[in-house]
Amino acid sequence: MRVLIVEDDNEAAAAMVRGLSEAGLDCTRAADGADGLLAAQKGGYDVYVVDRMMPRMDGLSMVETLRREGDRTPVLFLSALGEIEDRVTGLKAGGDDYLVKPYAFAELIARVEALARRHETGSVQTVLKVGELEMDLIARRVHRAGKEIDLQPREFQLLEFLMRHAGQSVTRTMLLEKVWEYHFDPQTNVIDVHISRLRSKIDKGFDRPMLQTVRGAGYRLEA
Amino acid sequence: MKLPSLFRRTPFRLTLLFLALFAAAASALLGYIYAATAAEARRRAEGDVRREVAVLQSVYEERGVDALNQALVERTLRGGPYLYLLMQPDGTPVTGNLSESPLDDFEPPETWETFRLSQADERGRVVRRSARGVQMQLSRGDLLFVGEDIGDTEAHLERVTQALWGAGALVVILGLGGGLLISRNVERGMAGLNEVVAAVQEGDLKVRARPTGARDEFDELAAGLNGMLDRLEASMTAIRHAGDAVAHDLRSPLTRMRAKLEVALIEVENGRGDPTAALETALSEADGLLKTFNTVLAIARLQAAGQIANPEVFDAGELAADMAELYEPASEDKGLDFKAEIATGLMMKGDRAFLAQALANLVDNAIKYTPGGGAVMLRSRRRSSGEIEFSVTDTGPGVPEEHRERVVQRFVRLENSRSEPGSGLGLSLVAAVAEAHGGRIELAEGPGEVDGYGPGLRVALVFPGA
Repeated sequence: MRVLIVEDDNEAAAAMVRGLSEAGLDCTRAADGADGLLAAQKGGYDVYVVDRMMPRMDGLSMVETLRREGDRTPVLFLSALGEIEDRVTGLKAGGDDYLVKPYAFAELIARVEALARRHETGSVQTVLKVGELEMDLIARRVHRAGKEIDLQPREFQLLEFLMRHAGQSVTRTMLLEKVWEYHFDPQTNVIDVHISRLRSKIDKGFDRPMLQTVRGAGYRLEA
Repeated sequence: MKLPSLFRRTPFRLTLLFLALFAAAASALLGYIYAATAAEARRRAEGDVRREVAVLQSVYEERGVDALNQALVERTLRGGPYLYLLMQPDGTPVTGNLSESPLDDFEPPETWETFRLSQADERGRVVRRSARGVQMQLSRGDLLFVGEDIGDTEAHLERVTQALWGAGALVVILGLGGGLLISRNVERGMAGLNEVVAAVQEGDLKVRARPTGARDEFDELAAGLNGMLDRLEASMTAIRHAGDAVAHDLRSPLTRMRAKLEVALIEVENGRGDPTAALETALSEADGLLKTFNTVLAIARLQAAGQIANPEVFDAGELAADMAELYEPASEDKGLDFKAEIATGLMMKGDRAFLAQALANLVDNAIKYTPGGGAVMLRSRRRSSGEIEFSVTDTGPGVPEEHRERVVQRFVRLENSRSEPGSGLGLSLVAAVAEAHGGRIELAEGPGEVDGYGPGLRVALVFPGA
C-alpha cells in the first residue's frame, strides 16, 4: 500500500514515515503542497495524507486541484485546527477523513488503512461476508455459521462498519465518528461497553472469537 | 487652549468652512441685487429721459430753437429731476442747468452716458451723484442733452450694501464664537474619552469612561467604549486564567511523568524494570496531558468568543436520545438504573459537537460519582417558558449547596472526588458551552436521601429555543 505524506514539518514527517513504515506501509514524503501536487500527479498512490497548513501551497488548495483534475485517491487531512468548521472545510475541499493533531499513531494507521481499503471495493454490496459471519443489508439480518443473531439497530450499524473494515484495526474514535456520527471526547470508554455487548452476541457459543481487541489501538474483526 | 491646536479641531474647521461658504453666498447675492437694482434704475431713468426728450423735440420742431430755449429756462427754474443743456451745433452751451456736456465723445444722432455729477447739497457740501442722460443732434443742427439724476437709487443701494456687510461681519463674529464654543464643548466631551483610550494604550484595562449624564452622543460613545472594555477585559482575564490554569495543572503531571521516565530509565539501565510498560505509562500520561490541554483551550476559546462560531440548527432532543443510547450500557455495566425521558423536536441553534460534549460530561460525571445500585436519569424537555432544558439527575453524594458555585470553576474538585480520574474541567467546559449558547447551568439537589443513597445531584442546562 503506497502512501504519499505531504507535511512541511521535517520531524513530524520523519516520525510519520517511520511509524507508517513499521505498519508495513510504503511511504513517500513531499515537503509542501506544491511538491505534493507534483508527486500526486505522477500517480501510483493509494492514500494521500495531507497537512492543512503548509508554505507555498496549503493542503486545501492541493487537494482541490487534484479533485478538479479528476484524482479520486482518498485523502486524510491532518490539522492542528480542530474546530468543527475547519473539519467541514476540509471535507468539502475533497478530503475523505480528518485527523486533528496531536493524534495517536494507531489512529493514523487505522484511518489510512481504512481509506486505502475503501478505495479498493467500490461496488455496492447487499450482503457482507466475513468468515462465518454474514450480514444481509436489505433484510437487516445477521447469521454466524447459519445461526441467526439478534441485534439492536446500533449494534447492527457497529457490526456493519467492522465488517466493512474486516481485518483492519478500527479505533474507538473512528467508531464514534462513523457509527454514532459525533465528534467529541466521551471521557470514559463508552464504546468499549457497546463492543463487549456486540461481542457477547456474535462470539458467544463459538470457539474462535472474531471481534478482537487490538492493544493500544481499538478493535479488529477477524474472519 | 492654544490657537494652532484650535485650528486642528474638527468643529472649528467646520465652522470656518461654513463661514466661508456663507460669505461667498452673501457676496453673490449682494452682487446680484446690486446689478439688478442698478440696471432697473438706469432703465427707469432712460424711460423718463426719452419722454422728456420727446416733449422738448416737439417744441423744437414746431416752434424753433428759441421756443426750446424758453422751455428749458422755464423748466430749469421750476426745478425737477432733469438736467438740461442746449448747445449750438459747435458745442457752445446756450441754456441749461449744466455748465458743459458730460460727454467726452459725441457720436450723432444720439449717445447715452452714465456720469458723475458734482452738486452742492443743502448744507453746501459738494456731493457727487450718478446721473444718466442722452445727447442728441436736433434736426437743425443744435445739440441737446437731457439727463436724470439716479443718485437716490444708488444711495439706497449703498445703504443696503453697507447693511449687508455689517450683517456679514456680525455673522462671522458670531460664527467664530459659536465654533469656538462648540469645539470647546466637543473637546470637553472627548477629553474624558481620550484619557480612557490613552490609559488603555498604556495597558490599563480597568479604566472606564465616566458618563456625563447628558445622554448625548458622548454618553453613548462612553457607554459603548465601556462595554467594549468590559468584553476585552473579560476576554483577557479568561485568557490569563487559561494560561494560569494550563501552567498550574500541566506542571504537576509533567513533573510526575518526567520523574517516572527517569526512574524507569535507571531501572532499565540496571537490568530491572520493563521498558515497554514504562513507555506505555508515559504515553498514556502524555495523552491525559493533551486532553487537559485541549479542554482548557476549548474553554478559553468559548469564553473569549462568548458565542458559537458557525451555529447550526438541530434537534436537541435527538442529541439527548443519542447520548442516552451511547451511555446506557456503560451505566448499566456499573449496576446503575439508567432512565431517559426524552422529548424530541426541541430545535435549538448552536454547535452540536460542543453540546454533545457537554451532555456527555454531565452523564459521565453522574455515572462516575453514583455508587452501584443507584440511578441516573437523563431528561430533555421544553419548559413552559419555551426554553429547552436538559437535565441529568443522579443519586450520588451530590454537591453541598455552598460548593455548587465553586465546582463549575476550573480545576475545582471536591475532596471526596479526588480518587476518581478526571481533570476537574468537566463542569467548567459544560458551563462555558452553556454560556456560549446563551444558556446557563443550574445545579440543585437530586431526589434526596433514600436508602442510604443521595442526596444526589441534578444538573440542568437551559437554552433559549431556536
